[in-house]
Amino acid sequence: MSTLLRTLRNLRRVGLKDFGHQLQNIGDTKAGTFIAADRYGNKYYENLAEELPLRTRWVDYKDAEYDPSQIEPGWHAWMSYMVDKPPTEDPILQRQVRVWEPKEHRPTLTWSRAGYRPYSTTKNKYSPWAPVAKARQ
Amino acid sequence: MLSTTRSAASMALRAKPMATLMPYRAGSAAFLSSTSSNSATPMQKPGLVAGAPGTPPPMKLARREVPLPSQEGKKGAVQYALTTLDQIANWARQSSLWPMTFGLACCAIEMMHLSTPRYDQDRLGIIFRASPRQSDVMIVAGTLTNKMAPALRQVYDQMPEPRWVISMGSCANGGGYYHYSYSVTRGCDRIVPVDIYVPGCPPTSEALMFGIFQLQKKMRHTKITRMWYRK
Repeated sequence: MSTLLRTLRNLRRVGLKDFGHQLQNIGDTKAGTFIAADRYGNKYYENLAEELPLRTRWVDYKDAEYDPSQIEPGWHAWMSYMVDKPPTEDPILQRQVRVWEPKEHRPTLTWSRAGYRPYSTTKNKYSPWAPVAKARQ
Repeated sequence: MLSTTRSAASMALRAKPMATLMPYRAGSAAFLSSTSSNSATPMQKPGLVAGAPGTPPPMKLARREVPLPSQEGKKGAVQYALTTLDQIANWARQSSLWPMTFGLACCAIEMMHLSTPRYDQDRLGIIFRASPRQSDVMIVAGTLTNKMAPALRQVYDQMPEPRWVISMGSCANGGGYYHYSYSVTRGCDRIVPVDIYVPGCPPTSEALMFGIFQLQKKMRHTKITRMWYRK
């Protein structure tokens, strides 16, 4: 979804280093205003004028192995166009954290060493079988 | 000293009424019941059923520190070469997922939405294949009935070897709404080994896409040649 002229124009605007970084991560060359970085270090950008709808806000992840769950809830609302202002400017999103809320955002831990692994202490109700394939005639 | 004498004395005091009470109780119960006493296998301990696994070992002992994958390190030129080979193979695997669509119910509608332009799955290299021989991921979308289960297993057996299964929706995960139905398999993991469970009823297309991202994450961390070399 990019023309050569647009790529060259954005390359001139973001510079060679960011150009390589964006091609490595986003796969596209985008230029926009830097909004803010969240507490983890993800950087958020916006370009409402030139980009296509639903592509006007994007995130530059801190980690090389990025995951959409690394975005905090407030920033997720901003990324999904639920709110107009980012959480750094929106007074609604800058509320107090309630006592029962988790203190910090936790991304999905699947396939990491801290991922949830279920186990059962009861005997299985069913047992696996060894499938036997009949040889071709 | 004092405690031992006291406990011994209390045990001696206690032993007598127990011994006197127990046969009387057992005899009275046998007298009341009309059926003959048909005792099953005697229990070793009260509360322990024969054949059940024993109590788990205490968790205080044996805390073992496991290094993270990033902390394991690479030793020697062979491991560096194999890690690079793994990265190339994993990159190729994760960027051209060809799913075998096993659409069974309303979850399949959401799976179709994944292929439509809004969540354009072609940009991820995902192309639905109609043949299990050409696909490497099976997305089980919907309620798996007992009648369909042999077909599911057959299709899974027809897939070539690096193969993964995504169980989509609560019906495929564990029966879901139809868990107590007479004709529904309670989860497709009774039939095939499942890598990713996508919860929801039905899950949104974003949820399925996130499940695919998790599967790609699993593929990225697969040690193909490294495990082969270790053997």
